[in-house]
Amino acid sequence: MSGFGGWIRTYAALIRNAWLVDLQYRAAIGLWMLWGVTEPAIALGIWWAIAGAGPVAGYARGDFVRYFFALMLVNQLTIAWDSWYLDRWIREGDLNFRLARPLNPVHEAVADNIAYKARTGVVILAVWLLAAAVWPAARMPIQPTRWALAVLAVVGAAMMRFFISFATGLLAFWTTRATAIMELHAGVSLFLAGRIAPLALLPPAVAGIAGVLWFRYMLAFPIDLLTGAVPDGDALRRGFAGQIIWLAIWFAAYRVAWSRGIRRYGAVGG
Amino acid sequence: MAPAIAAEQLSKTFRVKVRIPGLRGALGALLRPRYRDVRAVRQVSFHIDPGEIVGFLGPNGAGKTTTLKMLTGLLYPTSGRVEVGGFAPWSGGADFKRRIALVLGNRQQLVWDLPPEETFQLNRAIYEIPGPAYRERLDELVTLLDLRDLLDKPVRQLSLGERMKCELAAALLHQPSILFLDEPTLGLDVTAQEGIRRFLTQYRDRHGATVLLTSHYMQDVTALASRVLIINGGRLLYDGALDALVARIARTKRLELVVGAGVTAESLAEFGDVKSFRFPNAVLEVPREAAPATSARLLAALPVVDLSIEDPPIEDVIRQAFAEGVGEGVAE
Repeated sequence: MSGFGGWIRTYAALIRNAWLVDLQYRAAIGLWMLWGVTEPAIALGIWWAIAGAGPVAGYARGDFVRYFFALMLVNQLTIAWDSWYLDRWIREGDLNFRLARPLNPVHEAVADNIAYKARTGVVILAVWLLAAAVWPAARMPIQPTRWALAVLAVVGAAMMRFFISFATGLLAFWTTRATAIMELHAGVSLFLAGRIAPLALLPPAVAGIAGVLWFRYMLAFPIDLLTGAVPDGDALRRGFAGQIIWLAIWFAAYRVAWSRGIRRYGAVGG
Repeated sequence: MAPAIAAEQLSKTFRVKVRIPGLRGALGALLRPRYRDVRAVRQVSFHIDPGEIVGFLGPNGAGKTTTLKMLTGLLYPTSGRVEVGGFAPWSGGADFKRRIALVLGNRQQLVWDLPPEETFQLNRAIYEIPGPAYRERLDELVTLLDLRDLLDKPVRQLSLGERMKCELAAALLHQPSILFLDEPTLGLDVTAQEGIRRFLTQYRDRHGATVLLTSHYMQDVTALASRVLIINGGRLLYDGALDALVARIARTKRLELVVGAGVTAESLAEFGDVKSFRFPNAVLEVPREAAPATSARLLAALPVVDLSIEDPPIEDVIRQAFAEGVGEGVAE
């Protein structure tokens, strides 16, 4: 691609196509989004009931509301489905024409993610704003600096989850079970990324593992940043440092899996 | 003149897991997987000049698609050398990919849910085609392929033939100089096949493009290609003109007759092998070198209204080549 203008035009065309395709699948996308909202809503319902008897590990009912609304938004903005797409491209031979084009297929995946997130993120944000208008517990303290930092953390988390999903999908070059590995990862992240409860509620040993591995930086860190659970100073710096390190590791994993996988490619189908 | 495509001693060996049927076999494979080498392409060499249309023939699993994938940089050769348009395909990068087009008859790049024009626009951005050039090329392709009414219909509503025409347009917008077509007429009806063939010839004549195509349909090859590469079991069996192949391996000629009253299949059998007899038409097969003399004897002995001497159908010749080999190795 020659120059910045060329990249902008290519990404604009890819995103436009992704939106046009999405328009054909409005119902399916609505259902996925509903599922993305249902899971935190159920978790919130449970914690709401538990916190009726008094705060749990410092989390009162209002804290849970803010946590799970933030979770809905951050999860929609960072979720990546790429392993499923890649698995299909590789197994069914749809990677062939993509490899014959002068554009690394990763760009199509990135553009797809931008398109998906822009659209579903806006919907979730609108839902949250509506909820906040009628329900004070859902309101977030107005702290522009913190919000700006949270935006950075969400971008970092989105990039990291993208490369996790993409690199795992590339395992389809070697195994037919790449998506099963991704399912397992989703299962583990239910606990370790903070999808089912804030990490502060987990046993310290488990929360410790989540912080040493990448799980905390996928969801819990940006959410805590947004809701104010991460204090300024050291905790903030450590959080961003962890995110950058794991992003770099997963990016490297993607590069290695791509260059080795592509050499191994049996080019099935066709 | 430097060749557009050059392959020297090109080989590809796949390592595949051996699967033993049954539960015990599956468990065994889990503990101690066994592998087997499949030599898909073995030391294949050929050159194709710019502007040539070459047919690539071979039964399923012969190594056609594997070769095509090595030529387009999708597969890394196990050994040998490839040069396409002056590039080593594997490391040619974006500059190489702008020079070629790959069309796979059983895979599509058109976005299924959108009208073809959206894929064209996407390729315009990916290949960085300037606006005026894009419109000019699209106009040309729309005219040659008769796409006017298809541009705004979702791809999923197009017929197979219409889809292939749009696939070709999508693959040619960047005006590649070298085309690789893998079964471009697969599953199409006769009219659609003819349309695609006509288009390919026109495109080559206009732009001097080099075309390498694989096909199961012999008509594709006879109508388009002056030269064929025949591959079987990963080895190149023949490289040369189609007529020369027929002359070399067809040991017989066909005498197509229209006979007069009283001639029977039995009376014809004295002159050769009766392939079909349906009064007044008959087809006799005779040894190649004996064809003129046998014809003369026939005309003298029986009431023959019409006689013509033909080569056997090209399908039979190719089938024979696959089954028995070409005899003298690769011709030039």
